[in-house]
Amino acid sequence: MAIFKRFGNYLRKKLLLIIFIGFILGIAVALSSTKVIEATSTNESCEMCHVHPHVFDSWKLSVHHENRIGMHIGCVECHLPPKGQGYLKEKIKASARDAYGYVFKDSADFNWEAKSTLEQAQHFVFEESCINCHNNLFPLTLTNEGQEAHLYYSQNEEELRCINCHLHVGHYDPNALHAKNVEFGNAGNESKEKYTSAADVAGHNDYTETIPGTTIAFNMKAIPGGSFEIGSPESEQLRESDEGPQKTVNVSSFFMAEIEVSWDEYLAFYSATAAEGRSTDTEGSRTQADVDAISGPTPPYGQPDQNWGLGSRPAITMSYHSAETYCKWLSQVTGKTYRLPTEAEWEYAARGGTETPFFFEGQPKDFKDKNFIGKLFGKGSDLINNYVVYEKNSSLKTAKPDVVEPNPFGLKNMLGNAAEYCADWYSEDAYSNLNDGVTDPKGPASGDEHVIREGHLKALLAK
Amino acid sequence: MSNNNFSRRKFLAGAATVGAAGAMGMGTLSSCSGGGSSASAEYDWVKREYKYPPMLDQVPGGTVLKAGIVGCGGRGTGAALNFLEAGGSTVQVTALADVFQDRLDSCVERIKKESGQEVPAENCFVGFDAYEKVLDSGVDIVILATPPKFRPQQFEAAVKARKHVFMEKPIAVDPVGIRQVLAAAKMADAAGLKVVTGTQRRHQHKYLDVYKELSNNAIGKLTTAEVYWNGGQLWYRNSKPEWSEMEWMIRDWVNWCWLSGDHIVEQHVHNIDVANWFFGKHPIKALGFGSRQRRPTGDQYDNFAIRYELDDGRQILSTCRQINGCTNAVNEVMHGTKGKAFTSQGGTATITDVDGNNLFSYEDHETSPYVQEHKNLITCIREDIPFNEAEETANSVMVAIMGRVSAYTGKEVTWDEMMNSDMKLGPDTFIMGDIGYMQDASVPVPGTVDRE
Repeated sequence: MAIFKRFGNYLRKKLLLIIFIGFILGIAVALSSTKVIEATSTNESCEMCHVHPHVFDSWKLSVHHENRIGMHIGCVECHLPPKGQGYLKEKIKASARDAYGYVFKDSADFNWEAKSTLEQAQHFVFEESCINCHNNLFPLTLTNEGQEAHLYYSQNEEELRCINCHLHVGHYDPNALHAKNVEFGNAGNESKEKYTSAADVAGHNDYTETIPGTTIAFNMKAIPGGSFEIGSPESEQLRESDEGPQKTVNVSSFFMAEIEVSWDEYLAFYSATAAEGRSTDTEGSRTQADVDAISGPTPPYGQPDQNWGLGSRPAITMSYHSAETYCKWLSQVTGKTYRLPTEAEWEYAARGGTETPFFFEGQPKDFKDKNFIGKLFGKGSDLINNYVVYEKNSSLKTAKPDVVEPNPFGLKNMLGNAAEYCADWYSEDAYSNLNDGVTDPKGPASGDEHVIREGHLKALLAK
Repeated sequence: MSNNNFSRRKFLAGAATVGAAGAMGMGTLSSCSGGGSSASAEYDWVKREYKYPPMLDQVPGGTVLKAGIVGCGGRGTGAALNFLEAGGSTVQVTALADVFQDRLDSCVERIKKESGQEVPAENCFVGFDAYEKVLDSGVDIVILATPPKFRPQQFEAAVKARKHVFMEKPIAVDPVGIRQVLAAAKMADAAGLKVVTGTQRRHQHKYLDVYKELSNNAIGKLTTAEVYWNGGQLWYRNSKPEWSEMEWMIRDWVNWCWLSGDHIVEQHVHNIDVANWFFGKHPIKALGFGSRQRRPTGDQYDNFAIRYELDDGRQILSTCRQINGCTNAVNEVMHGTKGKAFTSQGGTATITDVDGNNLFSYEDHETSPYVQEHKNLITCIREDIPFNEAEETANSVMVAIMGRVSAYTGKEVTWDEMMNSDMKLGPDTFIMGDIGYMQDASVPVPGTVDRE
């Protein structure tokens, strides 16, 4: 019996020893892993893997590095959430992503410019981190503009991020503009010869419109009337349920602009109608019902062109109302009727007489992101690149019309670049309510939103 | 909205369009929805946090608090006297500001006569910028009682000068002013300043007791509120030859929309505020009527009737009038699933069940609510109790503005439209002279112009 007791004692002692050793080991691991976490969270360690030195240059010029209180904000302070708010999880995710990129990707292929856009930056700049340092959004020194903006933020916290407005505080951008843009719309072509009259149009032929009093001209294509199947067959790849059922639709002949309405064209309207700012005297003018004028846009806040450039690039970011008002103005100055196309006209024009998913060869799936199989069998995206500006080739910016080729009707960018407003109200079941063989349908009589058609510079071919 | 597929037929949902977006200030505002539209029998009182004022009969002692008065007319002088009564020997009025010397002099006179205190002549300032001098004069508290148009600018300046604030309702006349007050209110919170806003019903024992009864489910779930300020014609002043346009308008301010916000904003906001307080939220749209029948001066209406709707479909029915010779009523009636509550500033508050049996009645407490609100401010400052009514009052004033705009235009008006509106009434600069405002001023005609 004694021997059992002694063995038991021995075990108990050993158990304590094992627990003790385990405890020491645990502390050592914890200490060293803390060391590892710390060592891999320095700016220098970030710099080692992130081989894009301009990011460090722009960081060093930013207010997060050079500020009046002399605090230097490091990489992880913005690019990881605060400790205790998912720090470790995000660190592991970020490390895995970075390690993967470091080993398997060529840093020369990275689109750094796209990564610093709001859309992508919000995935690796943490709102909690901004709030962690800046927990008083209403300091007494806040400017009036800041008050309005922070008030708006406080009323819309779920939809907004700090970097919606403060995108350039972490990395300096000399071109960033944060102000009311009163210079906007100065096209700088005042010295060019101005057109004195609008184009004369005889018959249904292509023509070049010249906007009187401006230096702007643009091409209009004569689209012959015809009949086509609106919508897509149920068997078509990547099809949405609101694209059917297919109906036969007749469209009368019409004209359509060769390219999307360009900034040059839109700015002609802008500079002809824009006011210095809206009158604040809303009380006094209330009863003047007989105003006979087209009201112009107010000076924009920031850059409506997203800093992508103006000129022949499509005019973007305007409201539906602005688009309609532009048409109204253009009609007035040219003496013709310009309007947004109906959805049927748009689709007829975009198809250019074809019945396939694209007006060029191929199925949607052929142009999906190059995958392993795709690489093996040489399915490429070369063909689509000739015609469509989309996520894979746009660098997330609008492109000038000369980078694509026209469709059979001579129209460019019907399938990409910027999406386009149509005149029709949107309804999910609009096609079911169409009568087969109808001529020039106009969509539902009313609705909440208007139809917007086609893909755009951020559209992907895969879900 | 993440529409990443190559959609060939999509529609505008929200703000994201044409492949680019993110413009600040363009989105719609999410209303203060609690999602409480379910038909649950229990009302959502329990979930509600309401910051009760301290309501002490006697303010705690402490170092002397010095107040400056901005706006020395009837209400400014009245507020000064209420303040002095509330704090007794532990408070002083040490500085005054007004645009008119005669108003300033009469204020000095009344304070001296009724409280024995003398405001030093070197601390009495005249002019549109006199409030800045009051803020610089070493006061702890400012009492803002000018016409409401000036309130947002003066409130912001007071907060930036780190002063506690008592300001009279309404605290703005237009959405631009409301947003300025809302932002300054948040600054005040961050700086630990206390703000009371002259909505004295929230400092009245009777109202607080009814509120507590209702929050204990006395009448079940609130369904509808009726709010009224139907009274006689308010004072007005005819122009005098020696007065400039600006001088006349300010002396006659309750009759000019840009100065007062019209009487629905200036006066009736009290009752609207009670409804917002009891519902715990503000309406999100308004459709109303209004007209001008008897008002002798100015560009305002003298009657309004507005139907307000909350985000869950419940309603506030509001009327207000300033016309002599009609039946008057200034009160609120809250209808619930189990009964109704009647409140008015004077007289008895009652709660009855659906059959009209009396469940509760309350007579006035001896302390005037006009004095109590100053007691509460002084208590909060001395005990460092966080208290700031500016945001709630701004919301109530915005509701009144929403009703005014609906009546003026004849159109339904939403909270989001108001919150995003750049409507700013009145001239941009204030000078004592002929400002050319009146030649264009006219009484609004519903149905003639759209307005957002």
